[in-house]
Amino acid sequence: MKFALQRIRHEQSGFEALVRLHAQTKECRLTRVEIDMSATDWFDADMCAAFGAILYHLSSGLNTLELTNIPKSVEKILSKNGFLSNYGRAKLPDTWGTTIPYQRFDVKDDRYFARYIEGEFVHRPEMPKMSGGLIKKFRESVFEIFSNAVLHSRTKLGIFSCGQFFPNRHRLDFSVVDLGVGIRRNVKEGAGFDLPAEEAIAWATQGRNTTKRGPIPGGLGLKLLTEFVNLNEGRLQIVSDTGYWCLQKDHVSTARLPLPFPGTAVSLEIKTSDTRSYVLSSELKESDIF
Amino acid sequence: MNDNLTLSILEIVGSPLCVASDDGQKVHDRIAAALKEGQNVTVSFLNVTSLTSAFLNAAIGQLYGSFSEKEIRSKLKVTDLEPDDRALLKRVVDTAKEYFKDPQRFKNAERAASRDS
Repeated sequence: MKFALQRIRHEQSGFEALVRLHAQTKECRLTRVEIDMSATDWFDADMCAAFGAILYHLSSGLNTLELTNIPKSVEKILSKNGFLSNYGRAKLPDTWGTTIPYQRFDVKDDRYFARYIEGEFVHRPEMPKMSGGLIKKFRESVFEIFSNAVLHSRTKLGIFSCGQFFPNRHRLDFSVVDLGVGIRRNVKEGAGFDLPAEEAIAWATQGRNTTKRGPIPGGLGLKLLTEFVNLNEGRLQIVSDTGYWCLQKDHVSTARLPLPFPGTAVSLEIKTSDTRSYVLSSELKESDIF
Repeated sequence: MNDNLTLSILEIVGSPLCVASDDGQKVHDRIAAALKEGQNVTVSFLNVTSLTSAFLNAAIGQLYGSFSEKEIRSKLKVTDLEPDDRALLKRVVDTAKEYFKDPQRFKNAERAASRDS
């Protein structure tokens, strides 16, 4: 069976194209599935995380996948970040060091993920010159996203990530995607609110709201992430089920996707030229914490 | 008996990257065991380079489900925290206090704790 993939931008339209592909292919089993990418004239590299998740879901149905007619420029990017290595292509060297490679993790891989971020981002000399405070905040933010996926997604198929640095635009995009139950279902089961998917995402990002039950408290991870994105003047997009939620310049916009995403995608975009120190001037003493 | 125990987070976790809830659980279990023995506990974050709320919720926030605020304030100390990590821990602690004010959650926590023991 053959399916076409459109242009994949790191925004709502890109997620819409991917959920369409998922809806078309999700029932395939023991089939040879060809994804024709001749119309994919642009592919924002961090979106490999969401695309990879959908393809992984598809291959878990014992399908044989083939990506065909990939435009040269797209093929080059997706070969440099290791994405196409999963689909029969050789990995190309990342000469300019602008990729954070595509990877799949299991939920028990917290430490492996942490080492991946350290090795592929923090300690790479070719990565953008960023202030120490910004690097620390970025690192903590992606760890918070990963922890959220580990703690809430209940995914059995894993967690996917990929990033891309744009030196001229002083921008870094990074996405973490899981194939779990999604925020809407978590909010319904954990907090008892049956909300539309985009409102469930909005609920989860606010204040101390948490779907957690049991001995370990929660409810800070997404809040911390939104605070960082606002300070950095970056952008945060969350897609879960049919919900699309975007935070940019202190402004939240939401939308309903035409079809559900099979998990949750968190896409972070940060300004690497940000010189804010991120060191709090707070005089909080250690003895005042408890 | 040594009545002031110092716990090194780095030693317990085995890494300066303290990001996983499971690693936080290991720290929690040590602190909780010592507090139950009536010990004063100092938790040192020396040489820890990354912390997440998930780790701190499990390591420290969780203590508010088993010990009173008064007990924790008098028995537990933290040292060697960077100013922004100090602020993060304070928020984790405030969130935990709020979380355990909800009696249903607390009941669930106790039920889960008794299942685990």
